[in-house]
Amino acid sequence: MRRVLAAAVVVLLAPVAQVAGVNALDLPGGGPSMALVGVVALAPLLSPAGAAVLGFAAGLAADIAPPADHTIGRLALALCLAGWLCARVPDDAGPVARAGAALGAAAGATLLDAALGLALGDEAWAATAAVLPGALAWTAAGAAVAAGAVAALAPVTRRRRFGGPVSRSALRSPHPRGHRA
Amino acid sequence: MRTASGRRVPALLVAVSVLLVAADHWLTLPPLRALGSVVYGSLESGVSSVTRLAVDPRRLDGVERENARLRAALLAARRPSQAPAGAGDYRVAPAHAIAFGRDQTVTIDAGTRAGVTGDMTVFDADGLVGRVVRAGPSTATVQLATAAAASIGARLETSREVGLVTGVPERGLLRLSLLSATAAVRPGDRVVTLGSENMRPYVPDVPIGTVVSVERTPGALTPTALVRPFARFTALDLVTVVLGGPVAVPDGAEPPAGAAG
Repeated sequence: MRRVLAAAVVVLLAPVAQVAGVNALDLPGGGPSMALVGVVALAPLLSPAGAAVLGFAAGLAADIAPPADHTIGRLALALCLAGWLCARVPDDAGPVARAGAALGAAAGATLLDAALGLALGDEAWAATAAVLPGALAWTAAGAAVAAGAVAALAPVTRRRRFGGPVSRSALRSPHPRGHRA
Repeated sequence: MRTASGRRVPALLVAVSVLLVAADHWLTLPPLRALGSVVYGSLESGVSSVTRLAVDPRRLDGVERENARLRAALLAARRPSQAPAGAGDYRVAPAHAIAFGRDQTVTIDAGTRAGVTGDMTVFDADGLVGRVVRAGPSTATVQLATAAAASIGARLETSREVGLVTGVPERGLLRLSLLSATAAVRPGDRVVTLGSENMRPYVPDVPIGTVVSVERTPGALTPTALVRPFARFTALDLVTVVLGGPVAVPDGAEPPAGAAG
């Protein structure tokens, strides 16, 4: 229940915090993508399917929250994949491994979004090249810190929603991700 | 069934995302934008109102409205040749920049309820901000003059030479391309809007910026120059939206604005 509430908060408030908070501060390099940081930080507490739903919803919210003016679906796609990947990190991974996974997923999603922006003609090369390093650094760092903090606060995850339960006994078995076979 | 959904759901969502991208790229999706504007625009408005109240509780709407009206009067007064006696001011609406986007856009807290629709000029005390690209019920999205997609008819204030201003977002500057090959331009020249047909999207003679450097491109037919905009796009606050062109106001009659009191 608490995880669903946290997910709802990310979907509803991350876009607002982004446009009315982070972007208004005019930080050097731009600042982190709040929706992406929220998704990769929360994803390990959800099932892969639940994290994908969270990523899609948060990304779509960031796509349509004014004053967004890029192609709808860009962030929905990138964040959906980022959430899904972060949720697939084994449950017994420590905070460092989680932070690493979040960092990688956040960087990948930022790059995917930028690539989509270029391919769709939303952005020009020069403009993308100017903002991408800052966006990558802020978002990857923010994701790593947030995911590490969540992992330290909630070390054992319980997956009950969307993707079905991964029981504690299954985790202890030699093939914890046996359903992939 | 359970285990299969572990991949089926993400795959489905990825497919939906791709469909959304395709649909918005080729068809555009106004209902989704409208939903975003209602839900997130209202949230942004609320957050901004609370912050403003906390920062300065004595700030009055009336003062802001008067400020917008005076600014419009100033703009009308800048046009001596086209302001015959009895011509009224622009019809305007005051608004705040409440949210800043990554796409060279900002949200303002005035929408269709305040009379704001697409393709209206937005300016502030410093100069041109941009044009309204989309309006929701209580918020509107403004494309900044520095956006790569922005293309603004402009002229040099003193020589009246006509040109086109486009955004250079990565440098926060504008590029002025003059139409005449013989036009002279030098650093320090002021650039103002040319004005569009029917005042949309741009009304004439709004200050845009000053020329900072003249670009000498070998082989170029017409001169181009880099322009530093007057408006500070990262610190926008109170802005004015031009709802309509100057209307003739008979002597002694109430101006048509201010119905909301």
